[in-house]
This record gives sequence, structure tokens and C-alpha cells, in this order.
Amino acid sequence: MSTAYLDHAATTPLRADVVAAMQPYLTARFGNPSSAHRWGQDASAALENARARLASAIGARPSEVRFVRGGTESDNLAIIGGARALARDGATPVTLTSAIEHSAVLEPAEWLAARGEAELRVIPVTPDGTLDLDRVSSELDARPSLVSVMWANNETGMLLPIDRVVSWARTTRTVVHTDASQALGKVPIDLGTVEVDLLTATGHKLGGPRGCGVLFVRDGIEVEPLIFGGGQERSLRPGTEDVAGAVGLAEAIHLAVRDLDASGARMAALRDRLEARLIDSIPGLRVNCGDAPRAPHVLSLGLPAIRNGADFLTALDLEGVAASGGSACHTGAAAASHVISALYGSDDSYATVRLSVGRDTSEDEVDRGAAAVAEVWGRMKSA
Amino acid sequence: MSRVLVAMSGGVDSSVAAALLVDAGHEVVGVTMKTFCYSDIPAHGKTCCGLDGIMDAKRVASTLGISHYVFDVEEDFTRDVIDDFVSEYARGRTPNPCVRCNSNTKFRDLLVRGEALGCDRIATGHYVRVEHGPEETALRRGHDDGKDQSYFLWGLPPEMLRRLLFPVGELTKTEVRERARALELATADKPESQEICFVPTGDYRDLLRKRLGPVHPALEPGVIVRSDGEVVGEHAGFAGFTVGQRRGLGGGFSEPMFVLEVRPDTKEVVVGTRDELFAAEVTVRELNWLTTPPSTGDDVRVQLRYRAPAVSATVVDVGTELTLTLGDAQPAITPGQSAVVFDGDRVLGGGRIA
Repeated sequence: MSTAYLDHAATTPLRADVVAAMQPYLTARFGNPSSAHRWGQDASAALENARARLASAIGARPSEVRFVRGGTESDNLAIIGGARALARDGATPVTLTSAIEHSAVLEPAEWLAARGEAELRVIPVTPDGTLDLDRVSSELDARPSLVSVMWANNETGMLLPIDRVVSWARTTRTVVHTDASQALGKVPIDLGTVEVDLLTATGHKLGGPRGCGVLFVRDGIEVEPLIFGGGQERSLRPGTEDVAGAVGLAEAIHLAVRDLDASGARMAALRDRLEARLIDSIPGLRVNCGDAPRAPHVLSLGLPAIRNGADFLTALDLEGVAASGGSACHTGAAAASHVISALYGSDDSYATVRLSVGRDTSEDEVDRGAAAVAEVWGRMKSA
Repeated sequence: MSRVLVAMSGGVDSSVAAALLVDAGHEVVGVTMKTFCYSDIPAHGKTCCGLDGIMDAKRVASTLGISHYVFDVEEDFTRDVIDDFVSEYARGRTPNPCVRCNSNTKFRDLLVRGEALGCDRIATGHYVRVEHGPEETALRRGHDDGKDQSYFLWGLPPEMLRRLLFPVGELTKTEVRERARALELATADKPESQEICFVPTGDYRDLLRKRLGPVHPALEPGVIVRSDGEVVGEHAGFAGFTVGQRRGLGGGFSEPMFVLEVRPDTKEVVVGTRDELFAAEVTVRELNWLTTPPSTGDDVRVQLRYRAPAVSATVVDVGTELTLTLGDAQPAITPGQSAVVFDGDRVLGGGRIA
């Protein structure tokens, strides 16, 4: 069976040059960066070089880069650690999130609210990418606040207006976090010009290693640690550093940003090709957030007349095509995602299928994917 | 060969069923039904609960080189099986949720969804056999007398039978385990599951309290009486009792006492001696026939609980209800349990004991 992997937003393979960069630190150059001897010095130098490489790719200073274990950890640190830092003088901070954040942002925010550590406000978003910030401004009342709005939504590819969030936050003195896991390497990100305070990114969405993430913490912004036991990463994320992971993450980010102009255009062309074919073959197809600015790699479909989206994905897989529902994180759950519900209402009648391309996706794969989606839709649509 | 969907619970029987189908050259698609969420944390209600069965089935599927998917049937299962289970106990009856699931939920769902996935046949790891004849398909007991599960399958829609496969029905449990070990399946030595799947603690009264609420007649104290009305004790709620039960009746009797009847209207639990437990007639409702029903006067065999042998009986009346007289009086005929009618080892049909 010829297969087509169209789920690069879930994860995408390690780049060969990233593997090559990591290789020495998995074997011969194994030192602990905290050790004073030459093995330690070698590892420490590798770690700091990686930090600098990563920083320069996103327009940050090396001192602002904290290596963490993946995107979820980075988000949790930003939300919980960021809110707790704001609560130091005794006030209960307000956390604000968009309604379509990843659960790695929403759940810690809800957890804080349930514990009474912060108040939670959810900012509505419309399918064309409008954030209703005015609605929440009046409620802040000069209290310390942290807003988290993702750069690109993982389920639909929608780009959120981070510039606007930043300028709004200036007037309300709100700390800004953005989860850029799906955006980095897909759209230009320069933290020298877009002044967010905290930014999350992860390796495995852009050809880097899994379990390796970063939290950018702008100099002067405080974040409380969540775990303790050593001074690593300026005490924000203690534990012996994953040198190979950090090297791989930095290399992957460096390469993705370096290649962005060409690869972004290429992915957008593939996405558009996929979209055009499906619009032609599926009457009544809705392209989720099709009128919003979008990251180039994600195409989210609202399929008409499909009763069970999970079965649709199963049928696609049996045809050799990998896709996902909303996000890839909710195995086995048939309920519509919180993202689609927030954008289109909880009674939305469309089934969601997310197709996403990567740097190695071919036109042929896209064509086979489009044909399979159309074929399965024709077979499974209810009369 | 055709594409077959196999329902994999994550136990050894359905693992081997899948393996046998792969061996036979079928294209096999594994499915585990997620029937309810084990997680107690409501915030995580939407996420996968990491049910062991799902993970075990995935490991086996991977060993066999087949695809595996999860069908989320929580909503239907809750409505058709758990709600029924709870309401039966609340009415003083003793339900059989596995029968209910097979009859109403599992097989229908697998067939409909399987069809959409291009699977024309459905297989499970039940110890039963199907015999495809020119006119109709017969459902028969499994070869392993100790494991036979035909008691649970009388409720299948008859038109479904011809599309079902039960690959382990020809084997004994020992053979199934040997096969699983030879293939190094992760489930080869997994213990039998005895509990009802949605009552993992084994105490269904926890579930009743949770779903009926703290105040419900079935969970309120009542009296224990003899059949002549003499009050002989008290109980903490009739939902904790089933016909034939000895436990929980208190002591002080001159001979062993058994539950004869549960009376939800008066919250009474009626007890008596072992002799009083026997009856020679049974009425069965909610009938389902897998073939032409027997006629009045026919001699049949009937099985009245899972671990009981089938006994001889004569059809007194058959229509929307079935009335049987039993060759020998039987103990503890329990309302809510299944009565399954056999001709030899062939399942003719069955129903719920009135």
C-alpha cells in the first residue's frame, strides 16, 4: 500500500543534519555540563553554544533561553510559574487565555483557578482570527495579569494577532506568553520586534528531537520554578541538562528559521494544492479558519455529512493516509475538540479532519491524500 | 480473503482470535471499544484514560502486524448497559450487563462501523461457534465446556450471525494460552477478567450509590422476612441482594437461609430454606430467537445462569413471553438473569427471566 503521512503538525521526523549534530553528545562527548573537568567543560560549551544558536534564530539573548523538557512543560512553566511570580506581593493574579489554546495552556490555567491561585478569563476568538480583547480589559482593574495567546493554532493553523496582544498588554501591564510550537519555523518570529515576554517552542514539530523544548523568558520577567533540585537553567528547570537534546533543538530551530522563506512557500503551495483539490471534490466542504491568516502547513477540514469523525480517520488510515482529528493528543475520544467548539459552536455538525504537510512532503503524497479523503468521504457520507 | 474487524478487549482470547484470523490470511483490523472512563478526575473526562485493555490490545496488534483503533462507545454504553444495570437493581432484579452489551451495543456498533471501514465480517474472542448452513447460521456452544460463553449471546439479531466469526470457539482455554505464548503475545499470561468491566472494584453497590444518589429506596434499610411474613431481620438496602444469596442476612437461624425474593415495593427481602429456593416453572420476557422459535409442547434445554448446566424443560406457552416447566425443579431462578434455550449445543434464543 502506498502511504501518505499528512500529520506533520502532530510530529515530524528528525532532520538528518540534526541527528548528525546530536550524535557526538550521545556518545563520546558525554560529559555533565555541571562538572568542572574537561568533559564537563566540553558539554557546558556545547550547551551554551546551542543556547546562543537558538537565541540568535529567534531574536533573543542567550540569557533568555531556558531549555526544558518539551512544549507541554514549557507551557506549564509559563502559566503556573508566571502566575505565581505575579502573586508574590499577595495579589491574586488574573490569567487570560484565548479560547483555542492547547490543553497544555488551558489545563494549568484551569488548575490554578480551581486552587484559587489565579482567576481565569477566556478570550473569545472568531474563525476569521479576531480576538475580543476589549471584552476582558475592563475586568483587569490594574491587577497583575498574564495573558497566553498562541502564535499559531495547532488544530486549524490560524495565526493569532500577537502584535495586537502585545500592544494591548502594554496598556494593561500584562505579561504576555505565546505558545509558538506550531509557528516557529513556519512563520517569521523575531522577538526583537515582537515583544512577548514568554515564548514556548518544541523540537519535534520542526525536525528536532522529542522531549526537548524551550521557554524564552525575556530578561526582567520572573517565572517561579515548578521543580527543584539543582541550579540548572538559572534554577528554572533543574536537572542534569540534556546536552544532545539542546544541541539538536537549537540546530533544528536554526535550520528551520534559515530555510523558512523557501520551505514556508513550499508548504503553503502544498497546502493550497490539497485544499483546492478537496474543495473541488467535496461539495459543502468547510475550510476551518479559511478566511484567517494561517500557518502554511495546516489544513483543517470541516466535512459535511460525516457522523463520526473518528471512524473517518480510521478509514483514512486503512487507505494508508495519516491525518488527525483536532489535535493528536486525545486518543480514543470521539467528542468534538474544544477548539472547533469555541470557533464554530458546540453544536457544529461538521467532522474535523486536520491534514498537515512537512518539509519532505511531496506533491504526490498530497495528491494521494486528497484522493483518499475524497474517496472515503464519498463512501461514508450519510445520505 | 476479506477484511475482518476483530474486537480486541486486551485479553488473551481476543488476542488469539486476531492471531488466528491473521494466520487464515484475512486482512485484520483490531478495535478496542472504550466503554467507559476509569478516571475519577472529571477534568480529564475528554482524554484517554489509559485503560490497560486498550494498551494491551495495541501491543498485541503491533506484534501481529495489524492496525488497531479505539471505538469510543461511552455514550451508548452508558445509556444501554450501565443505566439498565442500575435500574434493574433498583427494581430488585439481578441484571446481566454482558448480555445487554452484546445484544444492544457491541455487535451492532461493530457491524455498522465495520461496514463503513470496509469490514464485512466481525470477530470476537468469545468461546462459541457459528455453523454457516445454506439456510441459516447456527450459534453453538464453544468446544471448551468450562469456558463456553453462548449464554451471553442469545440476544444477537439473527441476521447478524452470518457475518460473525468466533475463531477461539473451536479451541480450549489451554490451547488458546499455548497459542498466545507461542506467538509471544503480551497478553498470553494475563489473568482472566471476572468482574463486570464497569465495576472494577467488584462491588457494584458503589456504582449504584453513585448513580442512584445517596437517597433511593433501593439503598434504604428494610426488613428481612420469611415467606409467611414473619420479620427475621433488617437489611441496609435491597439492591445489595440477589436471589439465592446467603451473605448479609445475619445469623441466628436454625438452618441456612437464602434470599428467595426481593420486593422493591415494600423494600422487603424474603428469605427461606434451601428447599424453598426451588421452582419448577420459569417465565421469560424480552425474547430473542436466533432461529424458528420452539412450539408449545416441545422439549428443549434451558440454561438459567452462566455457570449452571442446561436442564430439560417443556414449552408450556410461547409468544411475547415464554413459559417453561422444568424437568427437575431448579434453585434460585433469578429475575433479570438470562434464560437461554438450547437444542443440544445450539442456541435457539433466550430472554430475561421475569
